[in-house]
Amino acid sequence: MSTKNDVLVVGAGLAGLTAVWQLATQQKKARLVSKGWGATHWHSGCIDVLGYYPIDESQPVESPGVTLAKLIADQPEHPYALVGVAGVEEALTMFQTLCAEAGYPLHGSLDKNWLLPSAVGTFRPTCLAPETMIAGDLRRDDPMLIVGIKQLVDFYPNIVAENLVKQGVEAAHLMLDMPKLAQRNFNTPVSIGSMMEQPSFRSDLVRFIKPKLGKAKRVGLPAVLGRYPSLTIKNDLEKQLGVPVFEIPGLPPSLPGLRLHAILLQAIERAGGRVYHGLEGVGIESEEGMVTAVFTEAAGRPKPHRFARYVVATGGILGGGIVTRQDGSAHELVFDLPVALPESRQDWFEQDFMDAKGHPVYRAGLTVNAQFQPVNGGSQPVYGNVYAAGTTLGHSEVIRERSFEGVALATGFAVGNLLAQ
Amino acid sequence: MRNVWEADTTLEFEAVQPVELTLDHCIKCNICVTACPVTAVTDLFPGPKYEAPQAGRFRQSKQPTPDYSVDYCSGCRACNLACPTGVKIAEINARARGVIVEEGKQSGRNKLRNNLVARPELLGKFGQPVAPLANFLLHGGIGRFFADKLLGIAPKAPLPVFSREKFSSWLKKRSAPANATRKIVYFRGCSTEYFEPRVGKAAVQVLEANGFEVLVPEQNCCGLPLLSNGEFDAAREFHSSNIKKLIDYVKQGYVIVGTSTSCTLTLKEEAPELLDYFTEDAQLLAANTYDLNEFLTMLLDAGELKTDSLRPIPLRLAYHAPCQFKAHRIGRPSVEIMDLIPELEIIESQATCCGVAGTYGYKAEKYQVAMDVGRPLFEFIHEVNGPVNVCDSETCRWQITAATGQASVHPIELLSAAYGYPPEGELAKVLLPLS
Repeated sequence: MSTKNDVLVVGAGLAGLTAVWQLATQQKKARLVSKGWGATHWHSGCIDVLGYYPIDESQPVESPGVTLAKLIADQPEHPYALVGVAGVEEALTMFQTLCAEAGYPLHGSLDKNWLLPSAVGTFRPTCLAPETMIAGDLRRDDPMLIVGIKQLVDFYPNIVAENLVKQGVEAAHLMLDMPKLAQRNFNTPVSIGSMMEQPSFRSDLVRFIKPKLGKAKRVGLPAVLGRYPSLTIKNDLEKQLGVPVFEIPGLPPSLPGLRLHAILLQAIERAGGRVYHGLEGVGIESEEGMVTAVFTEAAGRPKPHRFARYVVATGGILGGGIVTRQDGSAHELVFDLPVALPESRQDWFEQDFMDAKGHPVYRAGLTVNAQFQPVNGGSQPVYGNVYAAGTTLGHSEVIRERSFEGVALATGFAVGNLLAQ
Repeated sequence: MRNVWEADTTLEFEAVQPVELTLDHCIKCNICVTACPVTAVTDLFPGPKYEAPQAGRFRQSKQPTPDYSVDYCSGCRACNLACPTGVKIAEINARARGVIVEEGKQSGRNKLRNNLVARPELLGKFGQPVAPLANFLLHGGIGRFFADKLLGIAPKAPLPVFSREKFSSWLKKRSAPANATRKIVYFRGCSTEYFEPRVGKAAVQVLEANGFEVLVPEQNCCGLPLLSNGEFDAAREFHSSNIKKLIDYVKQGYVIVGTSTSCTLTLKEEAPELLDYFTEDAQLLAANTYDLNEFLTMLLDAGELKTDSLRPIPLRLAYHAPCQFKAHRIGRPSVEIMDLIPELEIIESQATCCGVAGTYGYKAEKYQVAMDVGRPLFEFIHEVNGPVNVCDSETCRWQITAATGQASVHPIELLSAAYGYPPEGELAKVLLPLS
């Protein structure tokens, strides 16, 4: 173990956590600071690598591995191009190993995308999915029953089923009124997730669902099968119902996302890394092209963090790492790194609001060199000891591509390993 | 360049937004709901998002508010730390409670009870001189029976034990070391003065070992218990009084350190922010107040902390960072300091909160909520199963001990022992057989 502070990572999304996980397991003294929690509590708990390419293509990507190679050839500035297909594959495999060891396996590979139902009954292409979701595979043709819980707002089984039927999937729906939940003043995915941990609540659920199974050979539920990375609840429901059960992720807070968050946090802490949340990066101190400290907001006065190297993983415009101003300028918030974005505000958008090719502003973000160092035109780094990972990086449209978690995981993994050497 | 033990008196003063305005940052993502330890155990509290940014929109003067449940916010601030957009949820809730109290919307019994538990200094002043009698009344069955029936103080509430000797009496009896090269101000807090002088003694010893003359000027309760019980007017008087008593020391260039994480947080932030108390003196005091371990890590980084010839402490101990310490937003300085002690193995708790949240868990109607909130921590303490556990905040230590039966010490007591000073209390029982 080195005695000096090696690396400070700013941002606690999938990219930042993955970078610190890699650094800590390779005996680096690493700390992560973040304003709060973020992407991990919002996302589906799946790892999307590449769902649509090009982004105006209406058919989902069949094999992300094959299409990824094409994307890298087409877009040399895309974050995936910095990592390469092999790099993406290594990150996925290592992450799958970590999750499997935690008793919460993620299934899938770059060979083939899953097609899983979304909370509005659309087809959702994703590369890795937790075992709690894979029975929802829409390539299988066994009929499904989509079950909602009246006390859980924002999940409507009729909408899911009706939209699936329109697309040729055999699906029925059922809304349950759970007495134990009706007694409570309020319910959230978290509180229902904790009720699911009680065997008696699960028995109630089974008692209500079983007589309504009809010809359904599998049951889809909102993603509330427990707060922690475990398969116990899913396995128990399957045993009692006699058919496979799957979760459909919905609005935040996302329990499947929280489970991945818990797995990463545990791995980091076990390896001696530190994660401090509630510490918002607000500025830096630099000397001769090197950052000497990052300051975080704190009670009384800002707190300095002095490390040899720094990673910015604060997300893009959506994640809050980059802000845009009225005058058309865009700023990365902690290091004030230059953001690649058309200079004139008018050029941020195409004429058509719903343009299938997307808007240039969606691709705003940092430009980095081959070592993931943010650059200001050319390949010279802005600071000699600053690196970037995740969706802070520009030149990709992660939402439309359905590559959000893939870009975060692969670049976080790559930067972590680069700095661990 | 300024030394770390010299106060920064050259501050630029900033206008600060009222906490309520931060509710506009809420994007309804519900992350706070996943972090809240209270809503996780009871549906009496619908969660941070509902209470602060949502109900906050309805809290206009002369408008009815949906505030029957906001009193169940324990003020632990776990929501603030988790919020990705910077909503000051716990502060919005504390101010809403302040309005309820101001408008007299609490029962007579609860009002009397809350007035009482919010004044530890008053209790200390009356109770400590007659410590044996006061302890008998406070901890005996009869006293607790009446405290429960008449005041609504939970029969098993982890109330403190009055000390036979006050910290200030101990301090008076000794003379400052002759070799001091620098001065520092110690904010002792009510707990050190009346209940746990051993923490203050350890702090003085550690600072003296590092060449400081420790000044303990006249001071009063920081006012946090008043703030968390909604008594804002009284809290303002307390804070104003502390500023008067302490500001000249800051202006002379001395920093203020404290061992009570909630007192230092109040001086740094809680009082100014909740009371909109942003005078230059208040901001100067805030900017020059440190938690003691925070300050020691700064000495360490500057190469000014005595780290040679530390005696080993061959123990494996559980450490819980209190909510009010995490709310300083400075990481885990106590762990960095304890890591310096040879052979000491610290196992950090990942639990959110011990539940007591100052005076919250004393109240009959909230006692069970507090115990349920603390359960993961108590299980962790049992799992590590050390001879004592470590925690920076007094009310948390009392709660942990009451719930687990295991004594709890402040991190500074360990460093003081490693420096070779004789430990006191439970730590003495553990360490003396080892030496």
